[in-house]
Amino acid sequence: MENPLHHFEVHNIIPIHIGGLDLSISNAVIAMWVGLALISSMFVFPAKRGLSLVPGKLQNVLEIAMEFIRSMVYEFIGEKEGKKYIPFIASLFLFILACNLIGMVPGSYTITCQIVVTGVFAIGIFIMTLVIGFSKHGLHFLGILIPPGIPKILIPLMIPIEIISMVARPVSLSVRLFANMTAGHTILAVLFGLAMSSLMIGWLPFGFTVAINGLEIAIAFIQAYIFTILTCVYIGDVIHLH
Amino acid sequence: MSKNSGFRQGVQLAFRLGTELTVATIVGGLMGYALDSFFGTKPWGLVVGVVFGVAAGCLGVYRVATKMNIEDEENNNLE
Repeated sequence: MENPLHHFEVHNIIPIHIGGLDLSISNAVIAMWVGLALISSMFVFPAKRGLSLVPGKLQNVLEIAMEFIRSMVYEFIGEKEGKKYIPFIASLFLFILACNLIGMVPGSYTITCQIVVTGVFAIGIFIMTLVIGFSKHGLHFLGILIPPGIPKILIPLMIPIEIISMVARPVSLSVRLFANMTAGHTILAVLFGLAMSSLMIGWLPFGFTVAINGLEIAIAFIQAYIFTILTCVYIGDVIHLH
Repeated sequence: MSKNSGFRQGVQLAFRLGTELTVATIVGGLMGYALDSFFGTKPWGLVVGVVFGVAAGCLGVYRVATKMNIEDEENNNLE
C-alpha cells in the first residue's frame, strides 16, 4: 500500500540556490501561485476592468463574496473601524479558500497542510494586532493584560495567565487550519489506498472517499471562514479593549 | 446583524473552544520549559507553566461561554 503521507512531500521542480538560501520552485510554491492566479483572474482583474450596474455571472460571485466578507468584518470589528480592514480580511479569506480548494484537485498540493504557511499567517496577524493595539491606545494597550473588575491582589497572578492566552491565539489559529486540512487529506489518502488494495471489496472504501470528498470541500470553506473570522475577532478585541 | 449570524457564531465557537483549551496548556508548558532552560530552575518552571496554561485555557473558555450566555438572554428578551 502506498504511503498515505506521500502527497504532503515537498519536492523541488526548478532548483534555485542563491548564496546559502534555497529559493527553489517546489510543488508547494506552484500551488500557491495557482491560488494567486485563480483569485486574480476571478476577482481582481474583473474588478479592475470596471463593474457594470447589471452584474454578470462573475460579478455576481464577486459581489456575494464581498458582501459576505463585509458583513463579517462589520459584525466583529465594527462598522466605523472595520472599513479599512476589509481589503486585508478579504484577501486573507480568498487566498486561504483558494489554497484549500486547490488541494481538493487530485494530484495537486495543499499548501495549508504545511504548518509553516499557516504559522506565518498567524504570526503576521499576531504582530499586526500588536501594532494596531499600540498605535491606537499607546501604553494603555498593556491594560489588555489586566481584565476589568478583578481584585488588586490577583493582578500578579492574572498577568502571566493573560500573556499565555495572548500567545496561545496565533498558535491555535495556525494549528487549527493545519490540523484540519492535514487530517482530512490523510483520511482521503488512506481510504484511496484501501480501495486500491483489493478489487473484491475495494468499492466500499471508494464509496467513502466520495462522501468524504464532499465533506472535505465543506471543511475547506469552513476552515477558511473560521481563520478569517477569528482574525476579525482578534482585531476587534484589540480595537475595543474589553 | 445579518440573518445568519447565529450560524456563524455557532460554527466559530465550535471550532474555537476545543483547540483553545489544549493549545493554551501546551503554550503555558512550553513557556515554563523555556524559562527553565533559561534560568536553570528545572522542573519548577514547567510545573508552574502548565498550571498557568490550564488556567488560561479555562479562563478563555469561560469568557466565551459567559459572552454566549449574555447574547442568548438578549435574544430571548427580544422575542
